[in-house]
Amino acid sequence: MIYGDRNTGVLVQGATGKQGEFHIGLMNAYARQVGGRGVVAGVTPGKGGQQVHGVPVYNTVKDAMKEHDIGSAVIFVPAGAAADAIMEEANAGLTTIVCITEHIPVHDTMKAIAYARTEGASIIGPNCPGLLSPGEVKMGIMPSGLFSRGNVGVISRSGTLTYEVVDELTRAGIGQSTVVGIGGDPVIGQTFVDVLERFEKDPQTKAVVLIGEVGGNLEEEGAKSTDLPIVSYIAGVSAPPDKRMGHAGAIVEGGEGDARSKIARLKKHGVPVASRVSEIPEMVRELFRCRC
Amino acid sequence: MKLREYEAKKVMKEAGIPVPAGVLIRLADELTPHIGELGDAFVLKAQVDVGGRGKAGGILMADKNTGRAVAEELFGKQIKGLPVHEVLAEQRLTIHHEYYLSITVDRSSKQPLILFTEAGGVDIEITAREHPELIRKATPNPLMRDIPSFMLRELVGTAPKEIGPIINRLYRVFIEKDALLAEINPLVTTPIGVFAADAKIIVDDNALGRQGFTVNRGLSEREREAEKHGFSYVELDGAIGVIGNGAGLTMATLDLIEYYGGKAANFLDVGGGAESERVMNAVRLVASVPAVKVIVVNLLGGITKCDEVAKGIIAAGISQKVIVRLAGTNEAEGRKLLSEKGYEMLDTMDLVVKKAVEVTA
Repeated sequence: MIYGDRNTGVLVQGATGKQGEFHIGLMNAYARQVGGRGVVAGVTPGKGGQQVHGVPVYNTVKDAMKEHDIGSAVIFVPAGAAADAIMEEANAGLTTIVCITEHIPVHDTMKAIAYARTEGASIIGPNCPGLLSPGEVKMGIMPSGLFSRGNVGVISRSGTLTYEVVDELTRAGIGQSTVVGIGGDPVIGQTFVDVLERFEKDPQTKAVVLIGEVGGNLEEEGAKSTDLPIVSYIAGVSAPPDKRMGHAGAIVEGGEGDARSKIARLKKHGVPVASRVSEIPEMVRELFRCRC
Repeated sequence: MKLREYEAKKVMKEAGIPVPAGVLIRLADELTPHIGELGDAFVLKAQVDVGGRGKAGGILMADKNTGRAVAEELFGKQIKGLPVHEVLAEQRLTIHHEYYLSITVDRSSKQPLILFTEAGGVDIEITAREHPELIRKATPNPLMRDIPSFMLRELVGTAPKEIGPIINRLYRVFIEKDALLAEINPLVTTPIGVFAADAKIIVDDNALGRQGFTVNRGLSEREREAEKHGFSYVELDGAIGVIGNGAGLTMATLDLIEYYGGKAANFLDVGGGAESERVMNAVRLVASVPAVKVIVVNLLGGITKCDEVAKGIIAAGISQKVIVRLAGTNEAEGRKLLSEKGYEMLDTMDLVVKKAVEVTA
C-alpha cells in the first residue's frame, strides 16, 4: 500500500455537498466490504454538528482532527474554494490530501501546492479520481467493482481510461496493488516521479502501468526515475496541436508534449508502450515473464 | 484564451512595461487623425485570433503618405481565412537589439518558469534546441508577490539593467491576470529606451470568469455550444463522431480510430454522471456536424448509469448510425433499452471502433 491502508481514517472536505455526500456513501460501503475505517469525519464550514451517512461533520479540519484519528483527506469542494481547502488541511497537519475538484485556476493550484510543500503535505490531484488500494482503502471516486488485489501498480493522468485499464487487468487475472489517478491538470501535486518513488518502497508492487497523455513530459521524467518494470500507454496520438483534449493539461504546446515523441522517448528508455489499451495485460505478463 | 495583441499590450502598459505608441482602428479612415502621433513610419498589424499572421501577410509597413491605402489593403484581406476587423497601427521602432522574455507554468517544478535570452530575434524553439546555454531560467516561488532581486540579476546578466524591473512587472501581469503564458518577443532596445515590441498573453480558461471575460473567443461556435452544456469538445476532420465519458477514454477512442485506419470527426467528453438529457444533447451536437456518417459511443459507467445513457441516445433520434459500447453501472438495463430499439452494441472499444471504421471505409 502507498498513501494509506484499511487503518487510515479519511476526512472528506465538502461533506454536505451533492458529490461529497454521494461519495462518502460509496467510500464507506467499500470500507465495510474490506473491514476498513473509511470516512470518519466530514468538514463543511457552517454545517458543523450535522451528519452525512452517520459521519459527523465539523466546521473546520482542526475541529475534526481533535475528535478523530485522521490520516488523509479527500476534497470535493467547488473550484473557487479548493485551493483554500488544500491549504487548510496542510496547515492542520494532514500529509496526504486528495483533491478531486476540477477547473481550479492553475495559479491557485500552484500557490496551494507551494504552501503544502512548506507544511510537508503531499497533494494528489487536483482534477483526479483519487486512489484505490484493492482490499484496503478507497480515497476518491473510483468504481471499486472493477478492481482486484495484486501486485501491479497503476498511475494515470486520467479517470475513466484508468478504469478501462483496471478492468482489462482484472479480466486478465492481473490484480493491482494501488491505482492512483494523479490528475489531468497542467500543475498537479504528486507526479509520476513521486508515485513511482512510493511504489519502489512498497513490497507489494512488482510492476507498474503508467498511463499518460499529451502535454508536458512528466511521463518521461517518471520512467527515467525508477528501476521498477513499467508498461506504458499514452493517449492522444491523434490529438491536433494547440487543442485542449478535455483535460486542462492535455495540450500539445509549442511543438512539445505530443504523444508520438513522448512514446519515442519512453521506448528509447526501454519502456514498452502499448498502442491499444487492450494490449496492456499481455505486455504486463511479458514483464513478469522476463523477470522469471 | 489568447488575448489579442492590442489587449495584451494594454495590460502590459498598465503594468508599467513600455510599449510602442499605437492606436487600434476598425476602419481605414480612423487612421488619418492619428498619423501625426505615430511618426513618419509605422506598422499596421491585423488583430486576428490566429498564429503566424506575419507570414500570412497580416503585418504591413506604411508611412504617413501610404498609411491610409495600406490600411485599406489590410482590411480587405483574409488572414488564414479570417476577415480583418481590427488593425493595430504602431510607431516603427529603431531596434538596436532583440531579447526574448517569457513566463509560463512549469509542470515539473509546479512553479512559474521565466525564460530570458539575449539571443533574441530568432525562433526561441531553435535557440532552445541548438544553444540551450544561451537561455537563462528561473522558477520563483508562486507564494511571493515579486521576484527576488538576486533572481532578476541572474536572469538579466549582461543585458541592460532596466530589463530587470520589466521582468518583475511581467511576472506581476502573469500572476494577476491568471496567465498560462506572458511573453514579450521581442523585447527590444532602441535609442529611446526598452520596449515590448510584441506581446502575448494566454489567460487560463478556468479563470476567465474572475478575469471578467464572458465569452471564450478561443473556441469555435460549436465548441462554445458544447461548453454551454459542460462538454469538452474538439472538432477534427474525419467522418466518425466520438462520444465518451472522461477525457482520457475519449482520447483513447480517437487513437483507436486512427489505429484501425479511420478518421474521427470530433471528440466529445460528456463528463461523469451524465443523465439522459445530457447524453441526448451530446449525440445531437456530434450528429449536427455534416461530415459525421457514424457515431461511436464509448461509455464506461462508474458514476454514469448505462440506462440513462441508453435513454439519451434513443431520445436524440438522429439519422446517422450509432454504435454503442456500454459497460458498468446498470449495464443490463441499458443494453435492453437499446436492443429493443435495434441499436448496434458491441462489447469492447476495439470492436465498436473497428465497426465504425468499416462503415465509413
